Amino acid sequence: MIHLSAFVFYVGALIPWIFLLFRGARGHTVLVASGLTGVAVALHAMALVDFWLTFGELPLGGLAPALSSLAFVGGLALVAMLLSREVARVALGLLPFVLVLQGAALALGIEPTHRDLDFQGVGFVLHVALAFLGLQGLAIASAAGLLYLMQHHELKVKRLGRLFRFIPPLATLERVGRVGLSVGFIALSLALVLGWAWTVQNRGSLEIDDPKVVWAVMSWVIFLGIFAARRVRGRNEYRSALAAVIGFAIVIGTYLALRLTSGGGGLFL
Amino acid sequence: MTLPLSVVGVSHETAPVEVREQLAYGPYEVSDALLALRNAGEVEEAVLLSTCHRTEVYLRPARGGNAFHAIERMFSARPLVIEGNLDRYLFEKRGEEAVRHLFRVTAGLDAMVTGEAEIQGQVREAYQQATALETIPPLVGPVLNRLFQTALASGGQVRSETSIGEGTASVASVAVELAGKIFGSLQEKRVLLLGAGMTGELIASALSREGVRSVAVANRTYDRAVRLALKHHGQAIPLDRISEVLPTVDIVLSSTAAPHPVLTRAILRDSFIERRRHPLLIIDIAIPRDVDPSVGDEPEVFLYNVDDLRTIVEEHVQLRAGAVAEADRIIHASCEDFGAWYASLEVVPIIQSIRGSAETHRERELKRLFHSLGHLAPEDRARVEDFSRRLQNKLLHEPTAQLRRGMAEGAGRSLIDAVRFLYAIDSAGDSGTDSERGAEPPDMKDVDEEGSE
Repeated sequence: MIHLSAFVFYVGALIPWIFLLFRGARGHTVLVASGLTGVAVALHAMALVDFWLTFGELPLGGLAPALSSLAFVGGLALVAMLLSREVARVALGLLPFVLVLQGAALALGIEPTHRDLDFQGVGFVLHVALAFLGLQGLAIASAAGLLYLMQHHELKVKRLGRLFRFIPPLATLERVGRVGLSVGFIALSLALVLGWAWTVQNRGSLEIDDPKVVWAVMSWVIFLGIFAARRVRGRNEYRSALAAVIGFAIVIGTYLALRLTSGGGGLFL
Repeated sequence: MTLPLSVVGVSHETAPVEVREQLAYGPYEVSDALLALRNAGEVEEAVLLSTCHRTEVYLRPARGGNAFHAIERMFSARPLVIEGNLDRYLFEKRGEEAVRHLFRVTAGLDAMVTGEAEIQGQVREAYQQATALETIPPLVGPVLNRLFQTALASGGQVRSETSIGEGTASVASVAVELAGKIFGSLQEKRVLLLGAGMTGELIASALSREGVRSVAVANRTYDRAVRLALKHHGQAIPLDRISEVLPTVDIVLSSTAAPHPVLTRAILRDSFIERRRHPLLIIDIAIPRDVDPSVGDEPEVFLYNVDDLRTIVEEHVQLRAGAVAEADRIIHASCEDFGAWYASLEVVPIIQSIRGSAETHRERELKRLFHSLGHLAPEDRARVEDFSRRLQNKLLHEPTAQLRRGMAEGAGRSLIDAVRFLYAIDSAGDSGTDSERGAEPPDMKDVDEEGSE
């Protein structure tokens, strides 16, 4: 029920943002959007804590709880962005992703796995939290990249309309994308190191045929690809934004493909 | 009921720039002019607004005073060189018209460019400057205080709830807006000014005001480039050496009289290697164009020519014009609010009279009561006294609140007469005619405090 309330507030927060995009800044619209997002994230936190207290397991194991936790990390990123006036509007790019994740989690049913995982304790929490942070970093870079491409287009077609005024400056979007990528890359790298260290220690191999591992490594390689796109032949901001959007789409697309073909068994992949 | 307010002055609609510039008041002159007006006994309250487009005095004239002549005398005290009499350039608006005028000015509706943003800050400054003057009684009393606060609130509402301020409406401001949307802060940005055309220089000045780091000037006549560079604290370079500067600049403003393109794709391509494909904004306002149009095909280059800028400005002007009706509705509501507030002032002396009478009765009855209950301890007496005060406030709160509300809603003289009759208040308790009240409006603060519980 609390999960559903959080979802409703996320939807509620999206409405003023869209209103703001199409009608321009009016009255307290930004404040309303920020307030609703804040309430949604607070409810989301309560829902996850409630899950933990009720079922005695962290909402990281099963697919739906994990998706909801991933959405929550995105929610935290949203709050961080909304605190800065300069980048608050990038939230419009990230909010739909958070909404889709939480919506999918609700559709699947946020239930406990009742399974005893091999990998538990602080190491497991850290591993998953870092992996989620990595994914959200990429999501932020992608949201900023998408807005960058839109603003770039508006500037190129010389249309100084509502979209032009709504979207932050190219330099701001570039900076947000860079921070998202850097934080995400470091977090995902640490998550991979933690996961591999545990696997090698406890199972004696890297288990590179595990779909989860394939996906995580591929995501890491995509990060590298985006960094390369930024660096080849000078610091090309346009190419970097495009690479972040495409890279994120590949990561999500691959996840869905692996999920559908590997018959995940109720865990994340 | 007539509002005892006037606005007298000159604006872009009544006087040409040659007249307006002679009547423009600097910050120090404003204080002196206002004090002189007050000392001459011409005004009770006054605020002087002086901008590029207008010099206007909003005032509540002294009893029997003539606002128009007072301001005409004030302006005439300056050494003016104008064609004909000064009064042909002056305008005066009174009462509700003066209120509406201030609200329209503050919202940017009376500006040369509809929706101009700076005026709101200028009105606030004028109001604060008059408020800060230490005079007894203050130069900004209850009426002007309320008027300017309502005007600023209404102006803010117009800006936030309509599209009146959306889009910029001059070539220079469009250029600044474009640069802002590409680079964010312009603090560390470098500008290259090609040619010494007036529009190019205007844009360079606008960018300098935004804090760009440097302005390099290249011109066919090197001396002219040096003069311009000095003006912008930049450096002059010969026109044939611009390729050396290009890798380091972020914004190029071009307005040379060259018959062929000065900047080609080949020249820019070379610079891209050095500039590591940083975005570049090029504003080409030359006719014929200075920049090869194919330069705009580079993903990092944002190229705008004079027609592009003009089209953007025209679109913005149309967008703003479409919002005027919506803005006027907000202003109309604000005028009505102000009128209602002023109307409610008329009941202040009556409320004071009712409360005064009730207080006299209360004290008399308490005295009588304490006389018959001489055995009461001091703390019990205090309790009884407190009870009587609270009871009196409760009994009077609703009628006084309703009275004020009724006046605000336009109940008018009949309501006043009815209350006078019911509470047996004679005319002496009232403030008299509108003009007299206008000269000395009652202090609402005391009544509000009494009315609260």
